Amino acid sequence: MFRRSLAAASCAALSLALPVQADTVYPLTLTNCGVEVTFDAAPESVVTVGQAATEILYSLGLGDKVQGTSVWFTDVLPEFEVLNAGIARMADNDPSFESVVAKRPGLVAVQYEWHVGAQGIVATREQFADLGIPTYTLPADCVGKDNTAGSDGTRLEMYAMDSLYQGIMELAQIFDVSERGEALVADLRAREAAAIEKAQALDLDGASAVFWFSSAEMDIDPYVAGQGGAPAYMMHALGLENVVRSDEEWPVVSWESIARANPTVIVAARMERRRFDADDIDNKLEFLRSDPVVSLMDAVTKDRIVILDAHSMDPSIRNIAALETLAEALAGADLQ
Amino acid sequence: MQAAPASSALRPVAYWGVSGAAILLVAILAGVVIGETPLSLAMVGAVFANNLWNAGFVVDPIDAGIIWSYRLPRTLVAAACGAGLALSGVVLQALVRNALADPYLLGVSAGAGTGAVAVTILGLGGGAIGISAGAFGGATLAFVLVAALARAAGGGSAQLVLAGIAGSQLFNALTSFFIAKSANAEQARGIMFWLLGNLSGVRWPDVWLATPAAGFGLLACLWFTRAMDAFSFGASSAASLGISVRQVQIVLIGAVTLMTATMVSLVGSIGFVGLVIPHAMRFVVGSRHGLLVPASALAGAVFLIAADIVSRILIPGQVVPIGVVTALVGAPGFAIILIRNRRRL
Repeated sequence: MFRRSLAAASCAALSLALPVQADTVYPLTLTNCGVEVTFDAAPESVVTVGQAATEILYSLGLGDKVQGTSVWFTDVLPEFEVLNAGIARMADNDPSFESVVAKRPGLVAVQYEWHVGAQGIVATREQFADLGIPTYTLPADCVGKDNTAGSDGTRLEMYAMDSLYQGIMELAQIFDVSERGEALVADLRAREAAAIEKAQALDLDGASAVFWFSSAEMDIDPYVAGQGGAPAYMMHALGLENVVRSDEEWPVVSWESIARANPTVIVAARMERRRFDADDIDNKLEFLRSDPVVSLMDAVTKDRIVILDAHSMDPSIRNIAALETLAEALAGADLQ
Repeated sequence: MQAAPASSALRPVAYWGVSGAAILLVAILAGVVIGETPLSLAMVGAVFANNLWNAGFVVDPIDAGIIWSYRLPRTLVAAACGAGLALSGVVLQALVRNALADPYLLGVSAGAGTGAVAVTILGLGGGAIGISAGAFGGATLAFVLVAALARAAGGGSAQLVLAGIAGSQLFNALTSFFIAKSANAEQARGIMFWLLGNLSGVRWPDVWLATPAAGFGLLACLWFTRAMDAFSFGASSAASLGISVRQVQIVLIGAVTLMTATMVSLVGSIGFVGLVIPHAMRFVVGSRHGLLVPASALAGAVFLIAADIVSRILIPGQVVPIGVVTALVGAPGFAIILIRNRRRL
């Protein structure tokens, strides 16, 4: 047991210290979101619960191991369209426990603890463990986050891209493709740094933003990004102040408060789902331009509305593209 | 010679009318001034003057918009909803001679919830039907079903209340089923927030829907105050007094359905107003409907404006669903009614 932990610890240490990874030494033990998971060998197959986990596995070149996917927020990234078309989509939303188990996966890769976690609606991690199926949850959903508080969980500290990179590296390690993990993370880090540099060159001192995800009804108080999530990180990294003060991931905040705060930029989510009228980006834009109060905000009158893919507002590899889009838009917005 | 008694009879009516209007105006003003972000009374006055008389005061346009386009319509709709829901309670309690009758007990809110959820989550109507229209349809359907069930069960007052309970359970179960079937956490939260009442999306077009509905309901109720007095001795006694029982029932039930379904579709399910306000007003003005009807309408309006204010300022930076506030006041009120009426229920 001690030797196993030592091996795992030295593996973890190596992953931080060396630019190029060695082969994974099995058995591999990881502490993942407070749960110890052990792999005797690289899993032969994997089922994903969450689009972010799916796209990370695709990006790592592990698409051939994916037996089933679930919890889709938007279309798959264009570069994976062909690959994804050949993989079973078990459910657009939550898969049932049995449908996941029926795939006999060597691993269940999870994006959100509210799907698979202490009170997961698909199952608890113990339920999978009882059947000998290991689960891995992306650290982005548990590092510095309390998933027992608030409906979407509450961030205790701001989301950082490092937790995403940690997830990529650990998944790569589990599947013994650490070099691919290194390469992917290096690429993402470089793009992230370039986007931040671009925004910082603009000297955005005093500029602020609000991220509007959707609204239960068109005129009603909207769901906007709170202080701790991926959008908060993006705003922080680019030098924008978040006008929303709540620590919840996606709090409901009144248009009255948002209009009074008069953010410099409004970031609106575009998505394929059509559960609420406000899911449609055209309806969002129509509302922003026609509502008697909201339409008076500087961001609307000066046309500083940035449209981002909704899934890029969740902790995922799409955060990088979102940072790039935002930096690009800010550069073109003439904020001086 | 006839003028003196007529004016003395009018004096209390005028007195109550002026006092009632004054109370309502103060409540509306409070609803506009008090909110999440502080706005001064002077600024509110300037905005009113600008909009009503083109006074030309210089006011920040966003503040002016918050006052005129958000808070004023919201407060007016709260008033109309409060009046409409309270009147619905008065009518139902009179018609079925049961102190517990109110639109919510009779399954209307549960039906509205199911209708709204069916539109939102199941996509019923393919986007052509809004959440409000779905709620309106659900509320009306529930009312019709409950009335039909009560009639099939014998048509008595107890049957109506029992049918209402059965209807509420059925529609609440359907709502839960739809949510459990396909909603994610965000959707469930959106629906729950709506089911508990929410005035944040209210704008001027809603005022033009809510106030005529409440006004029509108030007129219908005022027209039939004598009939409602007679109904308190039972439908057969009312018939023996020369009242066209069927006609009165149809008009009043129709008015209640229209008012409740309209209000619920605009602002969600706000409970306890129809139950508690008529009882409180009976305590103040007595049980004659000539006074009870206008008093309940006024009290309902003021109560809901106050509840909306509380819902906006109870937790800073966060809005509490107004249904939670009305229930916090209404549930103890309900308990008092139960105890006071223990022999009559």
